[in-house]
Amino acid sequence: MIDLIGYGAFFLTTALIFSLISLGLNLQWGLTGLFNVGVAGFVAIGAYVSALLTTPHDAARFGGFELPILAGWLGAMLVAGVAAAITGFATLRLKSDYLAITTFGVAVVVQLVALNAQSLTGGAFGIGFIPRPFAALAETPLLFNLSNVAIVAAVTLVAYLALQHLSKSPWGRVLKALREDERAAISLGKSARFYRVQAFAVGGALMGLAGAVQAHFIGFIAPDNYAPMLTFQVWVMLIVGGSGSNIGAIVGSILVWAIWAGSGALTATLFAPEQQARAASLQIVAIGVMLCLILLFRPNGLFGNMTQRRRIRLGQRKPS
Amino acid sequence: MSEPVLEVRDLVAGYEPGVPIVRGASIRVDRGEIVVVLGPNGAGKSSFIKAIAGLVPVSAGRVMLDGRDITAVPAHKMVGMGLAFVPQTENIFPLMSVEDNLKTAGGILKPREAAERIARMYETFPDLKAFRRVSAGNLSGGQRQMLAVARALIVDPKLLVLDEPSAGLSPKFVSMVFSMLSDIRKSGVTILLVEQNAKAALAIGDRAYVLVEGKDAHEGVASRLWDDPVVAELYLGQRPHAPRGGDA
Amino acid sequence: MSLQFLVDGLLTGSMIGLGAIGVTLTYSILRFSNFAHGDFMAWGAYATLVVVGAIGAMFGKVAPIGALSFGWPLIIAVIIGCALTGLMALLLDFVLFSRLREKGQAIIVVMASFGASMALRSLLEFIFTSRPTYFSRAIQIAMPVGFGIRVTPDQIALLVLTVLLVSATHLLMTRTHIGRSMQAVSQNPALARVVGIDVARVVRATWLLGGALACVAGVMVGILVQIRPLMGFDMLLPMFAAAILGGIGSVPGAVLGGLIIGLAEAAAVQFIGAEWRAAVSFVILMAVLFVRPIGLFGRRER
Repeated sequence: MIDLIGYGAFFLTTALIFSLISLGLNLQWGLTGLFNVGVAGFVAIGAYVSALLTTPHDAARFGGFELPILAGWLGAMLVAGVAAAITGFATLRLKSDYLAITTFGVAVVVQLVALNAQSLTGGAFGIGFIPRPFAALAETPLLFNLSNVAIVAAVTLVAYLALQHLSKSPWGRVLKALREDERAAISLGKSARFYRVQAFAVGGALMGLAGAVQAHFIGFIAPDNYAPMLTFQVWVMLIVGGSGSNIGAIVGSILVWAIWAGSGALTATLFAPEQQARAASLQIVAIGVMLCLILLFRPNGLFGNMTQRRRIRLGQRKPS
Repeated sequence: MSEPVLEVRDLVAGYEPGVPIVRGASIRVDRGEIVVVLGPNGAGKSSFIKAIAGLVPVSAGRVMLDGRDITAVPAHKMVGMGLAFVPQTENIFPLMSVEDNLKTAGGILKPREAAERIARMYETFPDLKAFRRVSAGNLSGGQRQMLAVARALIVDPKLLVLDEPSAGLSPKFVSMVFSMLSDIRKSGVTILLVEQNAKAALAIGDRAYVLVEGKDAHEGVASRLWDDPVVAELYLGQRPHAPRGGDA
Repeated sequence: MSLQFLVDGLLTGSMIGLGAIGVTLTYSILRFSNFAHGDFMAWGAYATLVVVGAIGAMFGKVAPIGALSFGWPLIIAVIIGCALTGLMALLLDFVLFSRLREKGQAIIVVMASFGASMALRSLLEFIFTSRPTYFSRAIQIAMPVGFGIRVTPDQIALLVLTVLLVSATHLLMTRTHIGRSMQAVSQNPALARVVGIDVARVVRATWLLGGALACVAGVMVGILVQIRPLMGFDMLLPMFAAAILGGIGSVPGAVLGGLIIGLAEAAAVQFIGAEWRAAVSFVILMAVLFVRPIGLFGRRER
């Protein structure tokens, strides 16, 4: 029983961290219509920044500043947000595809730096000894797990409430208007781009925060955690939950993580150990197909309210 | 009475289902004629001929070309049916050479036939020959219109349909375009055009229709329509306030 | 200083360039950046590998041609592989992309291509596992050609093949009706229909051509490096960067962009370190976006 609660707490913590990333993505995509294919990159930036700020001093690499965890989280948000702002600034005056390609590149480069800049990131072995909140409670695993859930849930709740408030504010309404009407966005010119860069930066900061929270929850990070797969998972979560809905982002994350973890456990019991890597790739195929099916047949997901944008059909444009 | 090349009966058409812009318009164009469609802004003139050309979904009515039903034939097959359409704006491929622009229309012809027709177009329009290797985007407004019309004529259409050929042109080019259309008719091509510039269009047209709120409201001989009091009230009376172009 | 990196750069650039042609055509004609294009490369390489295996099973071992590492079975197999990859691209368009295009949200198509990319790549991992394989394990002797540069017969053959394919593609685009139709649709799809061009046919031609060239690029990677499910995905960023550097819609631009990125990567490997290779295309991409977003041969966006 205690095991089950412990596992449930662990599951929920992970799912809520995904929710936090999805909330950030929902601000970028659902509210503002900006396509980010480099989610993993911004999560990684947050994780590494917070790790560097809070870990004990390490002669083998840069930093280890032993700052409080909260300072690590704020630093993570700041750096990830700035990285997102620069990305947005470079691409948001261009067509939306350029943002997608650039964010994809950001994720590739961040992973490359994590892997190769040993003196900064610890290389392939990553960074360990990341301080965990409530480390004092580690003696009693149940209490430790529950307090972890509590703090992640609290962070997610704060982010949710803040985003709900933002999306109803004049700022949020401008973003929605820009998303709905490309022409209005173009006619607003520079100020429209400024709004979008802001939204993209705040979304990136949330992803950075999620990365930091996760790093402190697990206590150890390595480049492999931030593969393109992470980006893909978060996208599926947001699409299942419904783009444009913050509650959808949270529910979608929990649901898809449940499916993911469940099917992972299933393959672990059904397949022999040497077959499991293959079975795991089949799991990814299934999720990929699921994403496409939802896009085709239920583009609004469970809670989505993103209205159809102006139709642009190939070879059938309306007269000017 | 001569035989009709084009016969449109009670055409209903629009971009969105249930929101017709053309609401039951009928016209006919006889062989060798120039027929002009006039109308106040927002009357649906442009949508009307686009529907004939297969560019706007048709929900009711019939379009017959030379006795064949071409209602709802996809736009790219219209050329093969003998109907060539010249859009109002963006009617050339600006990044292709003049010659390549002409060749794009030759898809339904044999290569040799296409080459012969292009050579004939160069005879008719020596300007185009001079600029054959130049990107079409570098042409003047009048030359672009000339290129668009030449490309439409490559396939030897039974009917040439033009959407406001004078739109956006300076007065000098307007008269050039209309005299060009007049010459084309003399060579035996039947022409249907929509125009804002009523006076110039009526000067070369044989007959004209006035379209109001998506329906044909009036028909008459072109040369007498200008003085017709009904037309003056329906169309010409509103004209001073009407902005140019932008007609859906 | 050794000039050997020039050869490596030209070869890498050829592979990137061939792939980038497909990316640039899909972008300019279908109006979306296809994140699954890299996986077409990997599927092409594996399809060719399977066909080579089948030919080997039917005709036994075939001697390689001259000094090359491969014989006629690979040549036949590449041709079949190109057809299969093109058909796969068509199929994907039919079940997925075309339906989303109908709905009219361009960026949703990009997202779907991202999902399809993940599924395609993992499917390869499922079928063939993630262990690398090779067309041939024979080691080729590199011949010195002066200036301290050495090349293998395979490398020469593949460079020649690239030149032939790029020239053929350029002729196809500029001298044939289907090529002009592709240009026309990329410039103005509505006008293309008016002129009598069947846009659906142009879309099919685009997928077939892009898929076939991706297959050749994948096989080149397979011959010169190795075959693994991630091979195409790893080429995605260089291909996008090459297409944008060359100017979206321009076939010569895509190839030139590919060569520049290939040479820059090779130079980075020689002078900075192999581990930073993947960052080169990102740096070039950012530079282009800041300085000249329309690329070298780019035309103003409509």
